[in-house]
Amino acid sequence: MTRPDILLAVFAGMAALLAVFVALRAEITRARGGKILAFGALCVLPVLSLVGGYSTQMEQAQSTAFCLSCHVMSDHGRSLLLEDPSYLAAAHFQNNRVPRDRACYTCHTDYTLFGGVNSKLRGLRHIYIHYLRTEPAPAQIKLYTPYNNRECLHCHEGARSFEEQSAHNRTPEAIGSIKSNTLSCTSSRCHDTVHDVAALAEEKFWNGATLP
Amino acid sequence: MSASLLERRLSWSGWLIASGLAVELAVSTLVHPLAFVAFAVVACPLVVAGILLFLWALVTS
Repeated sequence: MTRPDILLAVFAGMAALLAVFVALRAEITRARGGKILAFGALCVLPVLSLVGGYSTQMEQAQSTAFCLSCHVMSDHGRSLLLEDPSYLAAAHFQNNRVPRDRACYTCHTDYTLFGGVNSKLRGLRHIYIHYLRTEPAPAQIKLYTPYNNRECLHCHEGARSFEEQSAHNRTPEAIGSIKSNTLSCTSSRCHDTVHDVAALAEEKFWNGATLP
Repeated sequence: MSASLLERRLSWSGWLIASGLAVELAVSTLVHPLAFVAFAVVACPLVVAGILLFLWALVTS
């Protein structure tokens, strides 16, 4: 837990104790001071605690540790440490192209107005499938919808290494097709080796980093 | 409304809020999808219900 998280926990704990106090001694609200205390304990402090808790939970839900806390994701986590640089996810993780403590979220969120909300809804769908339906084996896990180039372009668009890359300009219309998402980055024999967890058994791993 | 009914509602409101905050506290130490679900599905509704009961008790008193 970070220091702000500890402060928020202490705040929520104090708010809970005050709420218990008002619950046990509701007669204090007959006096003016008691009314003010009840308003603080039963309205102001709980709202602030809830806002703080929401912020903490949303922050934690973006962490790599959060995603990898589910056993079914462990192979996807291991794939971030593959030695072979042709693995897209490993190359991004190991070269700090994505923050290591938010590696999953950085590539798998939608960079749109409600992208964060959509990510959380997808996460709830993962949980629903995990606990109430039959989840596929790690090697069979697929995205619900095809990966959108928008997520790659959020960082790469405008970068010289992307714009001047010969493969991206092999035809005059290639770069336009990439930017309009008609030519997928992760297919078309371009960057199609992403996690590929089915091949993990035969691969070597880089020891230079550990998973968060 | 009689004072005792108002106080009973305030008391209920306090217990709802305290239990919601207790759940929030418990899950804040865990980094797991179920902790997120417990916060969203248990802690938030309990605290919101307690606040709404408090406000309802005030306006109907």
